[in-house]
Amino acid sequence: MVGLSIGEKHFIQGGIAQDIRSDGRKRLTPRPINVKTGVISQANGSARVRMGATDVIASVKAELGRPTALQPDKGKVFINVDCSPTAAPMFEGRGGEELSAELSVALRHCLLGGKSGSGAGIEVSSLVVVEGKICWDLYIDGLVVSSDGNLLDALGAAIKAALSNTGIPRVNVAAGASGDEQPEVDVSDEEFLQFDTSKVPVIVTLTKVGKHYIVDATSEEESQMSSAVSISVNRQGHICGLTKRGGAGLDPSIILDMVSVAKTVSEQLINTLDSQIAAAEAGEDES
Amino acid sequence: MKDLQLSLNQTQKVRLQRALEKLESLASKANSNASVTVADSIPVNYEDGLLKGHGTSEVNGEVVATVCGVVERVNKLVYVRSLRARYKPEVGDIIVGRVIEVAPKRWRVEINYSHDAVLMLSSMNLPDGIQRRRTALDELNMRSIFEENDVICAEVRGFQHDGLHLQARSQKYGKLGRGQLLTVPSYLVKRRKQHFHHLENYGIDLILGCNGFIWVGEHVEVTDDMLVDHKSEQHDTKADKSSISPEDQEKNYTPQQTRENICRTANAIRALSTLGFSITVEVIMETVDLSSSINVAIHEMLGAEFCVLVAEKEAVRRSMTKKK
Repeated sequence: MVGLSIGEKHFIQGGIAQDIRSDGRKRLTPRPINVKTGVISQANGSARVRMGATDVIASVKAELGRPTALQPDKGKVFINVDCSPTAAPMFEGRGGEELSAELSVALRHCLLGGKSGSGAGIEVSSLVVVEGKICWDLYIDGLVVSSDGNLLDALGAAIKAALSNTGIPRVNVAAGASGDEQPEVDVSDEEFLQFDTSKVPVIVTLTKVGKHYIVDATSEEESQMSSAVSISVNRQGHICGLTKRGGAGLDPSIILDMVSVAKTVSEQLINTLDSQIAAAEAGEDES
Repeated sequence: MKDLQLSLNQTQKVRLQRALEKLESLASKANSNASVTVADSIPVNYEDGLLKGHGTSEVNGEVVATVCGVVERVNKLVYVRSLRARYKPEVGDIIVGRVIEVAPKRWRVEINYSHDAVLMLSSMNLPDGIQRRRTALDELNMRSIFEENDVICAEVRGFQHDGLHLQARSQKYGKLGRGQLLTVPSYLVKRRKQHFHHLENYGIDLILGCNGFIWVGEHVEVTDDMLVDHKSEQHDTKADKSSISPEDQEKNYTPQQTRENICRTANAIRALSTLGFSITVEVIMETVDLSSSINVAIHEMLGAEFCVLVAEKEAVRRSMTKKK
């Protein structure tokens, strides 16, 4: 990220205060989202999301594994993000590790819920094959190809799109397995079950610059932020996760205000995203 | 057609295709014969004294192109001019750059070239306007003129032994503030007589740097050095950044209407850059007029529909100029 001169910073702050940002958007207007699914053929599901110059890819790989002793009736989901050095010069070598770790943790909070698995946005109980013995492990990987701000929202959208594109192979369990033995499983190559993503939430990040907050900040605007709150909201308007970044303190009333703004914005975002995902899947089927 | 980042629906794709085809047909026919790709042999009369210029090389007695581009012939010189090359500075180019380092007696400026350019302290007018030798005190006060990350406008002075040198000896050059800097591919900005444009009815300054950096900002009056002296002294006492209260800053913000004009112009330039059209003042003005006449919201100027309209308008405009 190149530095900005004082005049440019003043211009950006003035724009946000006057509700006309550098590219003419209003404070609560996001950039148009472009979704392509099925970009990685070897994965069970994948998607590429572009928001302006931000470009991220998410892929889902499903493997058979053993459920944990604490939750024998649930599958497992692992989320990991990698910032590619092509995204920004500062990501070269190990520079992107801190940001990758931060994004991974934020995504896990938003999508996977608490340690006991309660309140998860992703339905993990549908991933079990044989209770206590075999379940599906989903490995969700995110890759940041190009970074122009608002990575968390883009990754959230990409994961939602990748999950919509995911096909879990049908498993036939051999009958008559007793007690401790591992049952025989036959993983079908042809039949796939589409993953249900109606409950997967989307993430909306509100970046506070000066006295106002904006949706979908570019990296220039993010350099001016005092703090940012990322809220994941599902279709019912319920909050699935909340993360705050940035050193400045926020008054609790502002946080409540941000949450209500995020709910309104997320409704529109979910509708746009769903229609884009449907169009992408339809386009992919045609080609 | 190169892969556009826009998501176009079917009708928009058709319209865009048609507009681009019309533009291609309007382009001069002579060039199409002369375009070459790498390793194409260039048809020449093998007479004596033929100079093989840039982008060519002699292979097996034949003159072969080493870059993709158009063959140009000037008397005995044959060279290949590439269409999408990196910015190549020439003496007298007006450029916009960003200061990245303050070094002894010079500033290092990034200008979208393979090396950084150098602006010597002696090539810069001093704030008090007097022509004198630069003293050690001047050197220590360099930061008060330009700091790191400042956006400046300058002219290419020439290539010296230690790199590319710039000069900013006129009042129209110098630091740029209160606006935004855009980056477009440098081959879209052609060299013209005028690179500084003051759009009066919008009240904004537009500087088209030959290196692909374009500055769009509030209009700043170019004043005489002597007068600036008094004003800048007053400003310096107030301009201590830590003491400006948020309310004062708010009063200093660009007025709403000017800001809208700046954003509209910036988006027009972005749309033209996405479509790959040459960027000149006339085209920018037409695009801005088009956007205000059809009352499109500023942020929608970056969308698919407006880009298709711009392409169609450009096709119409070029066919009009061709007829004349």
